[in-house]
Parts: sequence; structure tokens; C-alpha cells
Amino acid sequence: MPLHIIACVKQVPDPEAPASAFKVDEAAKKVTPAAGVASVVSQFDALAVEAALRVKDVASDAKITIVSMGPAAARDAIKHSLAMGADEGVLLTDNAFENGDSYTTALVLSKAIQKIGDFDLLLFGRQATDWDAGVVGSGVAEILGLPSVSIAKAVAVQDGKVVVERVLMEGYDTVEAPLPCAVTISNELGEPRYPKLQQIMQAARKQVSVWSAADLGLDASQVGAQGVRLNLERLYQPVSEVECEVMEGETPDEKAQKLAQRLREEKII
Amino acid sequence: MAPANEFPGNIFFYLVILGFGAFFALTVIMRLIPFVQGKRVSRLDHLPARVRDFFLIMLAQSRFFRRKYWYSGILHVFIFWGFMVLLIRSLNLLLDGVSADLSLQHLLGDVYTAWRPVMDLFNVLVMVGVGMAAFQRIFIKPERITINRDAWTILSLIFLLMVTDVLGNSLEIFRERGDKDYFSFFAFGVANLWDTVGLGRGTAEAAHTVFWFSHLVILFAFLDYLPYSKHSHVLTVAFNVFFRNSEPTGVLQPIDIEGIMERAEEGATFGVAKVTDFSWKQMLDFLTCTECGRCQSNCPAFLTGKELSPKAIQHAGRVALLANTPTMGSILRLSPAVPRTNGEPPRPIDTMGFESIWDCVTCGSCQYWCPVMIEHVPTIMDVRRFLVMDEAQMPETAQAALMQIEQRGHPWRGTTFTRGDWMEGLEVGLFDGSQEYLLWVGCSGALSERNVPITQALAKLLIQAGVSFGVLGDEEPCCGDPARRLGNEYLFQMQAQQAIEVMNVKGVKKILTACPHGYNIFRNEYRQFGGNFVVVHHSELLAQLVQEGKLRPREGVEQTIVYHDSCYLARHNDIIGAPRRVLASLPKARLVEMERSGMTTFCCGAGGGHMWVEESKGEHINNARTKEAMATGAGVVATACPFCIQMFEDGIPALEPDEEKRMRALDIAELLEVAVAARGKEAAAPTSDLSAAGEEVSAGP
Repeated sequence: MPLHIIACVKQVPDPEAPASAFKVDEAAKKVTPAAGVASVVSQFDALAVEAALRVKDVASDAKITIVSMGPAAARDAIKHSLAMGADEGVLLTDNAFENGDSYTTALVLSKAIQKIGDFDLLLFGRQATDWDAGVVGSGVAEILGLPSVSIAKAVAVQDGKVVVERVLMEGYDTVEAPLPCAVTISNELGEPRYPKLQQIMQAARKQVSVWSAADLGLDASQVGAQGVRLNLERLYQPVSEVECEVMEGETPDEKAQKLAQRLREEKII
Repeated sequence: MAPANEFPGNIFFYLVILGFGAFFALTVIMRLIPFVQGKRVSRLDHLPARVRDFFLIMLAQSRFFRRKYWYSGILHVFIFWGFMVLLIRSLNLLLDGVSADLSLQHLLGDVYTAWRPVMDLFNVLVMVGVGMAAFQRIFIKPERITINRDAWTILSLIFLLMVTDVLGNSLEIFRERGDKDYFSFFAFGVANLWDTVGLGRGTAEAAHTVFWFSHLVILFAFLDYLPYSKHSHVLTVAFNVFFRNSEPTGVLQPIDIEGIMERAEEGATFGVAKVTDFSWKQMLDFLTCTECGRCQSNCPAFLTGKELSPKAIQHAGRVALLANTPTMGSILRLSPAVPRTNGEPPRPIDTMGFESIWDCVTCGSCQYWCPVMIEHVPTIMDVRRFLVMDEAQMPETAQAALMQIEQRGHPWRGTTFTRGDWMEGLEVGLFDGSQEYLLWVGCSGALSERNVPITQALAKLLIQAGVSFGVLGDEEPCCGDPARRLGNEYLFQMQAQQAIEVMNVKGVKKILTACPHGYNIFRNEYRQFGGNFVVVHHSELLAQLVQEGKLRPREGVEQTIVYHDSCYLARHNDIIGAPRRVLASLPKARLVEMERSGMTTFCCGAGGGHMWVEESKGEHINNARTKEAMATGAGVVATACPFCIQMFEDGIPALEPDEEKRMRALDIAELLEVAVAARGKEAAAPTSDLSAAGEEVSAGP
């Protein structure tokens, strides 16, 4: 039986856009990126796709399905993943999905995954690079009753098991888990591969299904703003002020002495 | 009366001609096979210019009169003109061999006689040339020249041709004593020598026969040897010059992406994967390279210790081409066809090497110095396109830069600016079709920390001079130049089409830009996609505004300034005078020049996408150029390019740790702004402050 891998990707506003490009509406607890800010595939999710492709490099008959929940524009994230080498895509889009939280996202993804069925490995980025909650991957595993391993730097499938190198402060653990299993991928995995032009052009011909809440058997009360389990208390842009005092002196020794004195005064040393 | 006129000489004569002739014809036919399979390109445009360049470059040897290689220039002119002149004698020999009545001497009479002293003069000059070449190869041994058995064979054959010519000629004069023989003054002198030593008639006849036939055999042996030698340019250079590139040198040709996708099943690739993906002209280049090495000696990558040598690339191309050409031996089943790995002949990337392909900064210095009009850069870029689009194999930094353009629409990762930030506080409006110029700010001009002040300085000058202009603001896409230079033609075409559409929709007719790469792409390459605009570089406009009195530099700029020519401005687009006129207008400024300036300018290192790609090894190109600028003793290096200035801003602190002693790097717009020092209510402080000791400004990513 060929391996079936499902990788979930999220399209996010460019996390490297300058901070000034984001406007926070504190009252409405919403953040809006400026018009010029690009939408990109969340960095760790691209690595999840890369991890899937590395498994496929070894098990060449494996099939990779990309799933993304988002507005219609999220199709671009799926297309990019297909260009990298994935086989099929599923876009989950519905107004009802908007303004949810990690739980509603995990719920929607779980339903989609169940509908796709017949999967062996679920791959996610460790966290999305907009909200950085880091919960959805493990959350999906919880909902589906599957084992999960988070923060992986390497994933391999051997004899019906998944072998994961899990990042630690001091190094890494090697973890084995039975399939089906969920794994979240960290940046230590490396770089996502650059698609060849042929693959980019072929991606246009690959199948992308579009499902709504109804297709997943969900109604509006379970998802989006109505289904949240997390209470967002406050959303604000922290103001940071930096004061820089330059130590003057004729010689480096003198400057160092003054610095030491100053640090003493501020009770830092 | 030639030794070939009667039996048995005549048998030998015709055998030589037929035998060597047939071998030559077979060789040519075999060599033409890959040419027929190669890409079709048309080089029949601008015919009058082609004829003119044929005369100037090939016949008049114009590129050999450049001062830098004067010694080789002299010896080559002697040998080449000698060859042309002495073709007449060779022709005469052949015709005379058939029948005395057919000889040129007989048919042209006095005209031929008048030519005889010229031919004798060149007998001497060719031998002098060969002597000079031998001396150079034995004692001077310049690194650029390939000295091997092939090279010595060629020199020896040329020398022997002259020797047999002179001696044969002298013996004919000795035997026949024609009344006009003194016209062949050199052979005549040698004939007198035979007189003096009392050469016997029988010996003279035998010797004449020997030298006559030797000359014939060596001539034909030389002809047959040429295609197998690195000297084959003798046969191909006329074509290579005539079919030269007629566009500005900085231009790359588009790929028909859709067309190739349709033929993907048949193995069509986007870049050059196999040697027959090259055009016939590129193949002709490989066979025309004489390995003189002028390209290598002027290549910024090679000179700073990198793998790339443009000469080695041409040689590698030749190796791959010949590996895909049937050989005489293989046809006669005497030897295996070609050295093959896994049943396939070597591909260009195999013979040229990954590192070399990526080392190229597309500065075009190689092409400027090449005397036989080889186009090195497009060949390298075609293989780079293969690596990027077909194989997705590139240095990590190149990949990152391309991803940035794709995802963010600009290559400047980590920028804290948005495209509109530089306009704050300035009265700059959006382009709406009513203004004369679209000021194309560019990704660097808007998002790179060092370049934002330059954009601001330029805008202030334009406002002060009353120039009518507008900008695209947030709507300005990336022009796509880094994508094209990094080899991603697909991404470039998407950017270009987007940019052209934005500009056409808004009714843009004239583009003003401070970036030579943008200038090159708008002026010379966008027309490949239907974008036709009048393009002006800011140095041209500023020079014009000063000349018209609309900008009046009055404040003294008391600095010694050295101007660095951007490759894409000077060498590729001939804009050399305008920036200097701007600098010359600065009161109290003293201008100095580097030796490598104008058309021979040395690259800052940022071309070919290298603004974003790490250099492979050796000295950093920008450091080498910064050293050169610092050696002039100037306090300021002036630039007219957003890449060049960042390269200097990186190099200056790297070479001079003491801030107080550092040279400053400034754009001509910044310098002019200081000098113009706006009057009236626009009199905000100039964007740059020349009095402050070198502030450390961080350059790109």
C-alpha cells in the first residue's frame, strides 16, 4: 500500500513586512496588514511540505495531499506546495471559518482529514508565523486520537513506523511512533526545495478540491467566531523605546571603566 | 614555370590538392552537423553596420590597436595582414602549378608585379611577428596565453610557410632572371646570395622543386590542421565578426517558455542542457576562440581568484561541441566516437562547471576585450538558466533571493521600509499620465537603507529644477532584473509583464531611473515583451539640467572625487560622459580617474545577481575595486548606481578600520544636491552631510 501523507499549510501575511505595515485595532481586537503586504506560505508549513517530499524521495509511490484552510487566496499556498512536488490539494474555505482560534482550525482540519481518509502521516508546521500559537498540529492529533510528535528536524518512515528526530535545547531525541501519526516540523529541518519550472507549470494541472463547512458536516456554530474556545483578552502593539548611552573616553580602557561604573549605578552588576 | 607543370610533379600536385582537399571538406561537413541541429537565430539585421564592422574589426584589426596589449597587437597585425596579402602568392602558386598561362603573374601582369614588393615586405613582417610571438612565449610568458604543443605547431607552420615561400621564390628568381624580379626585393636579395655562394644550376633546380612542393604541402597541411587546432579562428573569424551581436552588450534574449512547455515531452529544456541547445552562433564562438586570454585577464571573477575563466568556458564549450561531433576516426571506425559517461556525451554544465557558471557578474569585460567578437556572457547565462529552471540547482543565496522576489515582490529581505516611505515630507505625487517622466524608484531606491537618501536627493533636485514627474508608489513592482540575471527567466517574464502593464495602463512614455540595471532593462529588454519607452538615466538628466541652468551648483564641494563607472551604465550602455559632467560642475571639486574606467571599468561585484549571491572564494570583488579607488587618494568615490554604492559602503570599512580616515561613497545626486543647496522654502538640509566623518552605513542583506 503506497504511503499517503497529508500536509497542512497556512497562508499568512508576510511576517517580515515592516512592523509599521500592520495596524492593530485594539477595540475590535483585530490586526490588518497594509495593502502592500504580500501573502506567503507560513515558513514552517513550507518545511512540512518539504518533510513530506523527503519521505517521498525514499518511498517514490507515496502520495502527498495538501490541505489548507483559508480565504480563496489560500489557493496560492496550495499551488506552491503542488509545484514543490505534492500531488493533490484541498482548499477549505467558508465565511463561517473566519475569526476562529486554534481549536476551530484544528476541528476543521480534522474533519477534512477524516473525509480524505486513508492517511498514514499528518505533517504540520510547528506554529504559524502570524499568531505563533503552535497548537493546531497537536490539536488535530488529539481530536483524531492519534499519537503526535512535535518540533521535528527529521522525519522518516520505516517498516510502518515513523522515526522522528525531535529538537531539544541540548540536541535531539529520536522518537518512534506507530502510523498513523501527526508530526509538527521545525526550522531545523533545513530549506524547502526550489521547484523546477516544469513542476511549477505542471502544478496548474493538479487537482485542487474546494470544500465548505457543509461539505465537512459542520455548521457555523461549531466553527469560526462562534466556535472559539479561547478568550482573546487584549490585542495591542507593544511600544518599545530604546535609549542608547555611548561611553566616551580617550582610550578603550577609560571607556571600559566608565561602562563598569555606569552598570554599577544602574544596579545591573 | 612551376615544378608541377610536368610529370611526375603534376601527379603529386593534384594528389596533394585532392587528398588534403577531400580531408578538409569532410572535416567541415562533420563539424557542421551540430550547427544544423543547434538553435536558429537570425543575425542578418543591420547589414550595413555588419559590413562596416567586418572592415573595421576584421580587416582593419581595430581591436588590436588597443594600448593594453600593444605587443600582441603588433605581432598579430603583421601576421594577419601578411596572411591576407600572401594569399595572392598562394593563389598564384596554385594556378601556376596547373599552367603557367593561368598564373596571376601572367593574367595580371604589371598589377601583380606591383604587388610583389608588398608581399615580400610581409614575408619579413610575418617572420618578425612569429619571432615576437616566440619571444613572448619563451621569455615573457603572460598568464593569459595558452602555450602548448598546438600553439608551437601553429607558429612553426606559419614560420615554415614563410621560409619555403621566400626560398622557393628566391630560387625561381635565381633560375629565371625575370627583368622585374627586383620587385620581390627580399627574395631578390636571397637570390643574390645564391649567386655569391655559386649555387649550381642542377642544385638550384632540385632545391626549387623541394621548396615549391614543401610550400604546397605545408599550406594544405596547415589548412587541414586548422579545424583540429585552437587556431581554427582562421576559418571562422570572418563569420564570427560578420554575425556579431548587434544589440547592446548587456542584453539577454528571452526564452519562449510556453513553446518549450509544449515540447517538454520531446525533452525540450528551458536553458542549455545539451550542446545542441546552443545557437549556431554560440557554437561558432567556441570554434573561434584562440585562447588568447584577454577575456580572462580582465574578468573580475578570475582576477580575484575564482574558478571562472571566460576562456576556459569557451574551451569547455568547444570540448562539449566536439564531443557531439562525429570524428574522422569514428567514421572510419578507427576510434571510439566520443568520451562518454553513462552513454551520454558530456553536457556543457559538465565541462564548464557549476562554480564557474555562478561566478559570472555579467560585467561584459570579456566581450569588450575579445578581438574575435565572442559573446561569453549569454553562453554562461544560458547554462545558468538550465541550472535554475530545469534543475533548481543554485547557491543558497541565489535561491533565497529568487524566493524573495516571488513571495514579496522584491529582493530586499529584512527591509523595514515600504515603497512609499521615502516620500515622507517631500512633495512627490503619483504618476497619473499628465507628468513628463515616470520616476522609477526601484526596489533598491525605495527599500534599501543606503539608497533611500539618494532617491530623496534626486527627488529634491527634480522638484527644484521644475521637472514634471510622478512615481508609482506602492504599485511599483520589481522590474525583474535580478530574476533574469539569476537565471530565472520565467519569474523575470512575469515581473516584466506586470511592470509593463502597470506602466502602459497609466500612460507612461518616459522613464527616469537612477539605476543602470533598471535603465538597461527598460531601454533594451522590455521591448522583447511589448514595452517601448524612452528611458533616461538620472546622470543624463542631471547633466542636462545643470547645462540648461535649471540647477545651479554654487556651494563648494571641496573634495577630491574619483568616479566609478557602473558596468551597466558605461560598458553596456555607453553612458560615460554625463556623470562626469555632473561632477565637473561641482565648484572646488577635484576629479581624478582610476585607470580602469569608462569602457574598461572594473566591476563592483554586484552584477549578475551577485548583489545577493555570496562569492565562491578568493578576494571579494568589491574589496578589489575599493582598493583601486582608495589608491587614487580621493576622499570621495562617486557612483551612479544603487548596487555600486552598496559595494563600496561594504568595502570601505572592511579595508579602512579607522573611521576618520575613510573614503566616503556618495551618489552623484547626493553630491549635486549639496552643491545646489536649495534656496527658498525647499531649503531643508541636504540629505548628505559631507562634513561628518564617515558614518557607518550598513549595506544590503
